[in-house]
Amino acid sequence: MLKTSIARSAPRTLGGARIAFRPSPFRPVNSYNQRRGYASEAEEKDVVIIGGGVAGYVAAIKAGQEGLKVACIEKRTALGGTCLNVGCIPSKSLLNNSHLYHQIVHDSKSRGIDVGEVKLNVANLMKAKETSVAGLTKGIEYLFKKNNVEWIKGTGTFADEHTLNVELTEGGERSVRAKNIIIATGSEVSPFPGLTIDEKKVVSSTGAIALTEVPKKMLVIGGGIIGLEMGSVWSRLGAEVTVVEFLGQIGGPGMDSEIAKATQRILQKQGIKFKLNTKVLSGDVSDSSISLKVEANKGGKEESLDADVVLSAIGRRPYTQGLGLDKIGLETDKSGRIIIDQEYRTKIPHIRVIGDCTFGPMLAHKAEEEGVAAIEYITKGYGHVNYGVIPSVMYTHPEVAWVGQNEEELKKAGVKYKVGSFPYSANSRAKTNQDSDGMVKFLSDAQTDRILGVHIIGPAAGESIAEAALAMEYGASSEDVARTCHAHPTLAEAVKEAAMAAYSKPIHM
Amino acid sequence: MLPTAKLLQQQRQPLIRFLGKRTTPTKIDHSPVAHPAAPSNTLPNTFATYRQAAQQHGPLNTTLGSGTIASKSGASLGPIAAPQGAYFDRSELPNRYAKLEWTAAEIEAIESGGASTIA
Repeated sequence: MLKTSIARSAPRTLGGARIAFRPSPFRPVNSYNQRRGYASEAEEKDVVIIGGGVAGYVAAIKAGQEGLKVACIEKRTALGGTCLNVGCIPSKSLLNNSHLYHQIVHDSKSRGIDVGEVKLNVANLMKAKETSVAGLTKGIEYLFKKNNVEWIKGTGTFADEHTLNVELTEGGERSVRAKNIIIATGSEVSPFPGLTIDEKKVVSSTGAIALTEVPKKMLVIGGGIIGLEMGSVWSRLGAEVTVVEFLGQIGGPGMDSEIAKATQRILQKQGIKFKLNTKVLSGDVSDSSISLKVEANKGGKEESLDADVVLSAIGRRPYTQGLGLDKIGLETDKSGRIIIDQEYRTKIPHIRVIGDCTFGPMLAHKAEEEGVAAIEYITKGYGHVNYGVIPSVMYTHPEVAWVGQNEEELKKAGVKYKVGSFPYSANSRAKTNQDSDGMVKFLSDAQTDRILGVHIIGPAAGESIAEAALAMEYGASSEDVARTCHAHPTLAEAVKEAAMAAYSKPIHM
Repeated sequence: MLPTAKLLQQQRQPLIRFLGKRTTPTKIDHSPVAHPAAPSNTLPNTFATYRQAAQQHGPLNTTLGSGTIASKSGASLGPIAAPQGAYFDRSELPNRYAKLEWTAAEIEAIESGGASTIA
């Protein structure tokens, strides 16, 4: 059948009246069509993300914002992964509230505040933590709805390169096809050989944020960020905490030696004991207590340490169990990280990997950046994550934060550098707050003055490091920071003065 | 003028520069290389072999033989006019195939459901 076609813009007559159907220059903005720019007509998804943790949920929201048809597979009953449910967020609640408790008990008198009997209520402390977590995880659920992200509650396994079988939490199975798949399954606690984690007596970070009473004695295996944060919490609440560290320095990889030593001194003043260069040989768990056999690394007398609770905080490992990577032939390295290229692609280009289960530091903010970048690689073919400028923060008191390279790394690389440091004891705000332990340290290139690394131990170091990260992202010199006006009196002035110390001289020292 | 020029030369040049609105680079090399945070500088061979295998039947690796239409120029394929006795559209057909004019009787027959032909 042949149809007569008339151009839409051609004038037509209707009931004698001549009506011009011309395209109007004032078109109504069809936001639906704009959002659906990359969408497929078919039922399959544009992107399916496995894992609703920080990497996964950020990627899902970004994909929704870019107009992709997106689903996120998460088996937990709440979104947010380790960070929101059993990591960063609940630990920060405990760190903040235990610090308040510690301040009320130990500092209020010197601040002119007389308080009566102060009692700790561990059950309510945990309730406050759970309220914070619930609020934030529900917030992500709302953001999913707002950005048209479908949350498939269940466990996903690869059926083929484009299909995932999901074992649904509520029972049954569902198959999802996708043009692009992003693996963001995160990490899990590395087990300590010879010790079985029961999350009651022998705990991981997950159990350490859910103890029902303050242990009398606590042993922490591993003096990294997680060990020191959780050790701080229970030490402030009254536990006798001993940290056993295999290396000769606390803080884990990346922390500057000088800062690590200062941190150890301050934490020791707070009552935490340290056993460095010490290895744990074995553990004996009985009904009443736990006994750890330890020995100096370089050989020495075997020693036995007793505790009510042992926290195993030796690190985390990528979690890819049950994904069925072998079915599609995806490879992992020796550490279990899925191998990817510079655009997060596996050898199968439409399957990308972000967050803890692949290369780079296991940090939530790094995972977030990758979530955004991975979606941008899909939609625009270009994303941005600067792996040289990823800050690290340890939320003890005082906080420890750093970005860029430390002195040891610069020495090893043979880079000539200048050092500028400034103590918080010379900072007016820290002094008035009676919270002046710590320092800011700038490392800048000896020739160009470009900032190579900034290391802070002090009050709100986690906030102050943002300025250093921004400066480094834009390739600033220490003079650039030093010549920027900082408000007075603020803790941020210590950053400015340390920058001044790096290129010239600080004023207040 | 000279002292002023000298003073201007002494002005500090900040390392920070306004980069302008970020744009996607026009030329991006998408060929896979090792991830910047990866411990190794090389990718496993499987990356290359997978791509080779995936593309061998795909458009990227397809080379057209000399006998196919795509290998010839448009002009060499001859005129685009329909051959003798063939037409692209009904309107081009000879008049005898054209649609006949409706007569008043026919229209009436359709409108009355055929009743006018009996009456």
